[in-house]
Amino acid sequence: MKQSSVQSGAGTAGIKNLFGLYAKECKKVICSLTFLLYTAAIFAMYYTQFHSELSGAETEPKPGFASYGMTEREVPEILMPRALDQLMLEYLQNSYTAYPIGFYKEVHLVEKKRQKMADIICELTGQTRAELNNQEDENDGFEEDGAFRFEVGGEDGIWASDDNSFVVGGDRNPVEKESSHLEYSLSETITYERFRELMREADKLIGGGSRYSDKYIVFNFSQVPKTYEEALEEYRQLVDEDKITGGYARLYCDYVGFMLGVLPVFVAVSLMQLDRKARMEQLVYSRRISSAKLIFSRYAALVTAMFLPIIITAAMAQAKVIGFYPDAKMDIFAFARYTVLWMLPTLMAVSAVGMLLTELASGLIAILLQGAWWFTGMFSSALTGDIGKFNLTIRHNSLYKLDTFQEQYGDFLFNRAFYTVLAILLAALTAIIYEQKRRGRNFGLYTLVKNHKSKSAA
Amino acid sequence: MENQNQNQNHNQNAKNQNAQNQNTKNQNASLHNHPAENQTQKQGNAPQAGENCIKISSVNKCYGKKQALTNVSLTIHQGMFGLLGRNGAGKTTLMKTLAALHKKQSGIITVCGIPIEQAKEIRSITGYLPQDFSMYPSMTVEESLDYLGVLSGMDGRIRKERAELLLKRVNLTEHRRKKVRALSGGMKRRLGIAQALLHDPKVLIVDEPTAGLDPEERIRFRNLLCEVAEERIVILSTHIVGDIEATCEDIAIMNAGRILWQGTVCELLNAAKGKVFTVNVNKKFLAQMKKDYIVTGMLVQNEYTTVRIISEETPSMLGAEHAEPNVEDAYMYCLYSHGCELSGGVEE
Repeated sequence: MKQSSVQSGAGTAGIKNLFGLYAKECKKVICSLTFLLYTAAIFAMYYTQFHSELSGAETEPKPGFASYGMTEREVPEILMPRALDQLMLEYLQNSYTAYPIGFYKEVHLVEKKRQKMADIICELTGQTRAELNNQEDENDGFEEDGAFRFEVGGEDGIWASDDNSFVVGGDRNPVEKESSHLEYSLSETITYERFRELMREADKLIGGGSRYSDKYIVFNFSQVPKTYEEALEEYRQLVDEDKITGGYARLYCDYVGFMLGVLPVFVAVSLMQLDRKARMEQLVYSRRISSAKLIFSRYAALVTAMFLPIIITAAMAQAKVIGFYPDAKMDIFAFARYTVLWMLPTLMAVSAVGMLLTELASGLIAILLQGAWWFTGMFSSALTGDIGKFNLTIRHNSLYKLDTFQEQYGDFLFNRAFYTVLAILLAALTAIIYEQKRRGRNFGLYTLVKNHKSKSAA
Repeated sequence: MENQNQNQNHNQNAKNQNAQNQNTKNQNASLHNHPAENQTQKQGNAPQAGENCIKISSVNKCYGKKQALTNVSLTIHQGMFGLLGRNGAGKTTLMKTLAALHKKQSGIITVCGIPIEQAKEIRSITGYLPQDFSMYPSMTVEESLDYLGVLSGMDGRIRKERAELLLKRVNLTEHRRKKVRALSGGMKRRLGIAQALLHDPKVLIVDEPTAGLDPEERIRFRNLLCEVAEERIVILSTHIVGDIEATCEDIAIMNAGRILWQGTVCELLNAAKGKVFTVNVNKKFLAQMKKDYIVTGMLVQNEYTTVRIISEETPSMLGAEHAEPNVEDAYMYCLYSHGCELSGGVEE
């Protein structure tokens, strides 16, 4: 045996060796329980969200249909009165609905903010404060449905009345009040721009995420019925420009890619913790391989392995779509193109974050932080038309709206390139941290706690 | 005269051990290649002629405010070297520092002429067996070796050959397809030594390798270490004196992060000459004996107990006789003579 042949250096042998390591790391990932769960979750998302929604081919709209569905269209004449009605209603009840981080929240304004909201409404309606206050008095106890409401009396007890309403305490007779009679209209002098500004102010008073925010206002107050021409145009776009598969591929990426903002972190954490859990850390640390080679091999293995279920479900989706349109001319590369461009950068970024935070702090911290990032990001962007330059998960929850997507295609490419580069930088940073740990420098929660304790003791 | 005989016996044992090792030399011939020598020469870190040793000079290492190594200086030559010390003496820290797994705060370390700061080169010539280790439980024995071989940058064919050879050497060939989770403690240790030797290192560092092994496994493991120490530096860190006695010529004793003593086993035994005594005492005086002396052994007999003690002066009690020190006595005497706190068997 020649001495120099035991450990190979650079060149072909080195590359072969690196490929061997990559293959072994892939096997480690694929054979892990977390990967199995990840795969199950991806398939579950595919079946429950995408597969189950597709019942058949989209048909070309014909004239004379009763409805072609609804669409969002920013029409000031429609949007303004509807938004004002809702704002007035919520103001009188002093109860505003908001979704600040995606979850429902009922907001009650304090008096100071309520006065500011009153100012906004006065400007919107052209009423004086006295007129608004009168309305408020007249409609005291107003309920949204204008029907019965509850009276809370001095005695305990909840009584069911004859008409299925309830009385809490007091006498047993529910108090019926007349439905509200609100008299107001949109000020004739207000411009649409000023209207939107005031809506933004209202949203700010509510704390963000309200119906009046830029994100939700059109969706909430400017839904209009599609015309036949619009419906036909959408259909033609799907068939002619998207070659059918393009629209389906985007919808697939929206449904399945949505979970890619968090699921890969579990697999990444699991792989990075494996050495420590198996008490193999010291054996690996003491080997000759450079930290960069080891970390990038593991990273590549993670990304490759986790992309496999995506490829498989994308292929299944494509097969299903082809089945719907057996004679149509399709873009057979649409699914491949969209999954790589759309989903791979998310997968890469989340995996890199998982690896880095596990090395730097702990697996638990990696999961919590990534979970928080995904969660807040998920609910801070609209379902369609809000790609943004820095949204981790991209949404386009529609089979159609190609033009909306194309308008933001620049942002889409920037976003994906940004996360790809960020992911590689984070993986490189992981390699640096890993090398420091190999040389005995400690990171992590344990070390922080230990140092804190020794400082306290000192 | 007796002392001389004892030293001669120890030398004879060492010779016998060497002779036994010589028998396996041919089998091991292919285990003793030193690829790193070629490799490091290529990389401009060529070990100097005659630099087949580890030089440690005035090394200090701290964990926060705790000083783990204090001014440690040692020279370790080819063959078995034993590092003896209590738990917490700093042995593992020194081992990890030599394996480039810990950074020193100050001082100089060269391993076969390579400065310790060149971690990659050090790792390529060093095999390390930590005290507490295992491998991926779902991998088989040969898969584990293959994985670690890849991490050592070994070519596929060589990996296979070396793994086969080493598994044979450590008697694990028939268990090659067994999952690591199914291995006994002794088998795992043997697999550990195989992985440490996989890339044919010039230096082998083994930290407390026999802890938790039964006597038979321990003897087998010690013999294995002696065999592989033929043409490389093997550093054995342990707190079990028997392991050192059976395998090492050169030793160092550590305590509280310092090297208390360095030399050969014979020198250690010589230093304890005339300081070890046996005395037969009534059981009721045992407690007092433990308080007054360092007790290294007791043999309970019917009417009295034969106690082995360490003392600078001949004990004043009747019947005290000089005894030939064994390595354990000599180690205890070394600690005692350097002012280390010893309980002497007193229960606290």
